[in-house]
Amino acid sequence: MVDVNMTLEMVEASQVGMKALAAAIAVGSTGIAAALAEMAIGSAAVGATAENKDVFGLVLLLTVIPETIVIFGLVVALLLIF
Amino acid sequence: MLKPEQMSRLLIVASKDQITPVITELYRHNLFHIEDYVEAAAKGYEGFKIGTPLSGATEASGDLVKIRAIQNAFSIYSDDFEVTQRQKQSGLQVQIERELPAIELEVEGLTVKRSKLETKVKEFEQKIAELTPFIGIPGDLDLYRGYSRFIVFAGYVAHEVSISVANEMFFGKGKAGNFIVVVTPIEHRNVVEGALQGAGFQAVTIPDESGIPQERIDFYSGEITLIKKEIEDVNQKMDAIKEKHASFLVACEEVLKGQVERTEAPLRFATTNETFVAEGWVPAASVVTISQALEKATNGKIFVTELAVGEKDVVPVEYNNPSFARPSQLLIDTYSRPKYNELDPTIMISIVFPIFFGLILGDVGYGALLLVLCLGLRKYLKGEGGQQLLAVLRNASISSIIFGVLYSEFLGFALPWPALLPSRHLNIGAHATGHGPNIPGLMMMAIWIGIVHVTLGRILSIVNHAQQDHGAHRIKAVLANVGWVLMIWGTLLLIWSMIPMPLMPDFTGLPPVLMGLNVTGLIGIVAIVVGVIFIARDSGLELVELPSIFSHVLSYTRIVAVGLSSVAIAMVVNFIAIGMLISPQLENITIIGVLFIIIGIVVFLIGHALNMALGILGGGLHSLRLHYVEFFTKFYKGGGRKYNPFGMKRRFTED
Repeated sequence: MVDVNMTLEMVEASQVGMKALAAAIAVGSTGIAAALAEMAIGSAAVGATAENKDVFGLVLLLTVIPETIVIFGLVVALLLIF
Repeated sequence: MLKPEQMSRLLIVASKDQITPVITELYRHNLFHIEDYVEAAAKGYEGFKIGTPLSGATEASGDLVKIRAIQNAFSIYSDDFEVTQRQKQSGLQVQIERELPAIELEVEGLTVKRSKLETKVKEFEQKIAELTPFIGIPGDLDLYRGYSRFIVFAGYVAHEVSISVANEMFFGKGKAGNFIVVVTPIEHRNVVEGALQGAGFQAVTIPDESGIPQERIDFYSGEITLIKKEIEDVNQKMDAIKEKHASFLVACEEVLKGQVERTEAPLRFATTNETFVAEGWVPAASVVTISQALEKATNGKIFVTELAVGEKDVVPVEYNNPSFARPSQLLIDTYSRPKYNELDPTIMISIVFPIFFGLILGDVGYGALLLVLCLGLRKYLKGEGGQQLLAVLRNASISSIIFGVLYSEFLGFALPWPALLPSRHLNIGAHATGHGPNIPGLMMMAIWIGIVHVTLGRILSIVNHAQQDHGAHRIKAVLANVGWVLMIWGTLLLIWSMIPMPLMPDFTGLPPVLMGLNVTGLIGIVAIVVGVIFIARDSGLELVELPSIFSHVLSYTRIVAVGLSSVAIAMVVNFIAIGMLISPQLENITIIGVLFIIIGIVVFLIGHALNMALGILGGGLHSLRLHYVEFFTKFYKGGGRKYNPFGMKRRFTED
C-alpha cells in the first residue's frame, strides 16, 4: 500500500521507525527464548544446589549459558540501529 | 607454570616398631600423598593386609566427636575463627584430659535445659492458638463440657446457619472465618450435624481448660514471656562459656584431628606381621628432604625408594603457579583440576579473565567501588575459597578501572578526555549530542579478541595432543587441530578478499585470478579444504562442529553487548536522576523541588547499586563462560586428582 501523499521526509522517518521496530523484535523475541531456556536450567540448578551446596558456582554458570541467545539478539539490534 | 608440580612416587618400607616415628615425621612434613592400600578380595588371599590403628585411636576420636558436638552447640567454626595466639600442643593434651569432661557436662546441661524450655514455649503457644477462636464467645470454658443430655459443636462455617430444632447458638465473624458454637439436646444431634454440614462445618477441639478464654490466653502469654527470659539467661551463660573456651576448643579440635589422622594412618598402609609398606606421592623437589628426615627419625632402620611413574598411574595434581596467578586456581577448580600430563591454563585465565572483565565493566567508578568492596570484605570472608574469590575480583576491579580510563567512563558519565578505545557512550535523553557509540569498532575489537583466543586454544590443543597421545593417533590429532586453525584463518582470508570491513585487512582491491577470486581468496579456499581434510581424517563426526568456528568467535561479541547494556543502564539512571529530577528543580528551589531532588538522589544511588551488582555478575560470569565454553573446549579436559598430602597446616597450635 503506497500512499501517494507521502513526502520523502516521511518515508525516511518511517524507515528509521522500521529499524527501531526490527531491533525491538530482535531483542524482545530472543529475550523470551533465553528466558524459556533459563527457566528449566534455573529450576534444576536450585534443586541441585539444595542437594549439594558445592555446585553453586557451576550451576550459576550453567544458568547463564542460554544468555548467548539474547546477546546475539542484542548484537543484531545494535548493528541495526547504529 | 603451564605444568602442574612434578611428582615422584615414593615407597617406604620399615619394620612395624618404626611405624609411629615414620607417621609422625610424614605428618609433620605435610608432603606425602598416601596412596591407599586396597586389599585383594580374592578367596584364600595371603599377602599384605591393611594395618590396624595405633593405640589411642578410639579415645582420640571419641574426644573429637565430643568437641565437635560442643562446637556445633556454640556454632564455633574454625574456618572463620581469628587466630590470636598459638597454644602449646603439650599443654593442650593435659588440658583436654582435665577440662573437656567438665565443659562437656556443663554444655550438655545447658542445651538440655534450653531445649526443654523451648518445648514448653511451643506447648503454650499451641494452647493459645487453640483458645483464640473462643475469645469472642462469652462464658466460662467449663460450660462447654460435662453434659449428659446436651452436645456441643464448635468450629468454623462458611456462612450463618439456621437450625430448626431447639438449640443455643453463638455466631461470630473473625479474621480466620465465621466461628460458631451450638449447644443442643443430644436427641437433635443428627439434625444439627446435617445443618452444619451444609454450611461447610470444620470442627475445632474444645480446649481442656476452665475459666474465661481471654484470661487463660493472658496467663499463657505471661508464662511464655517468663520462659523466654529464662532461655535468654541460658543463652547468656552459653555465650559466657563460648567466650571463655572458644580458642581452647578450636585448638583442641586441631590437636585431636591430627591425633586421629595419625593413629588411623596404618589403615591406609599395607602390612605383614612384622613390617609395613607405605606408598604415595611427593613433589619431586622434596624427595631428598623426606627421605633424609625419615632416615633420621628411624636411625636408618628404613627403606625409602623412588618408583618409576607408570603410564597408567593417576598422579595427584598440585598447581605450580606464580603467586599472582594462584587465586585463579579457584576458577580452574570450579571447572575441573587439570590432569597431570595436561597444560594448566591457570596463568592464562589469571591474565585474560581480568581483561575480559575490564572490557565488559570498563568504568572507573564501578571499578573503584568494587575494589573498595573487595578490600573491605577481606576481613569478613574467611576461608581459602573466599579469599581467592576476593583476590580474583580485586584484580578484575583494577582492570575495570584501567579500561574505564581507556573508555573514558565514570558511572556512565564521560571523563574529560576522549575514549582511547572505541567509544561506548550512547545518546540518551532528548538533548543528547555526540557521535554515539562506535558499534562497528567495538564489534571488530571483540571479534579480533575471539579469533586470537580461539586460535590460542587450538594451539594449546596441539601441544596437549603432542604430549599425551602416541603413534598414529598423535599425528592425526595434532593435524586435526592444525586443520581447525586453517579453517578459521582460511575463512577469514576468504571473507577479507570479498568484503571490506573496518579494523580488518582489506584485500578486495586485488585483481581476480580464478573464478572471480583473488590470490587471498584462493589461499583461503585452499586452507579451508586442507583444514576439512585434516579434521575429517581424525574424526568424521567432528565436521558437524564446523559452524562452531562462527558461533564461537561471534560469541565474543558478548563482551560488547553486555558491556554496552551496563553503560546504557548507567546513563539512563543518570538521565532520570539528574536530567529529569534534580537539575530542573535546582533552577528554582521550592519545597516540592527539594522532595524531587531527594527522590532523584535515591534513584541515583539505587540505580547505580543495582547496575553495579548486575555488572559484576554479568562481567564475571560472561568472562568465565568465554573461558569455559569457548576456550577450554578447544584443549582442556581436566579431571585430575587433587594432591592431598598427609598432614595439616596448623593454625592454632604449635609444638
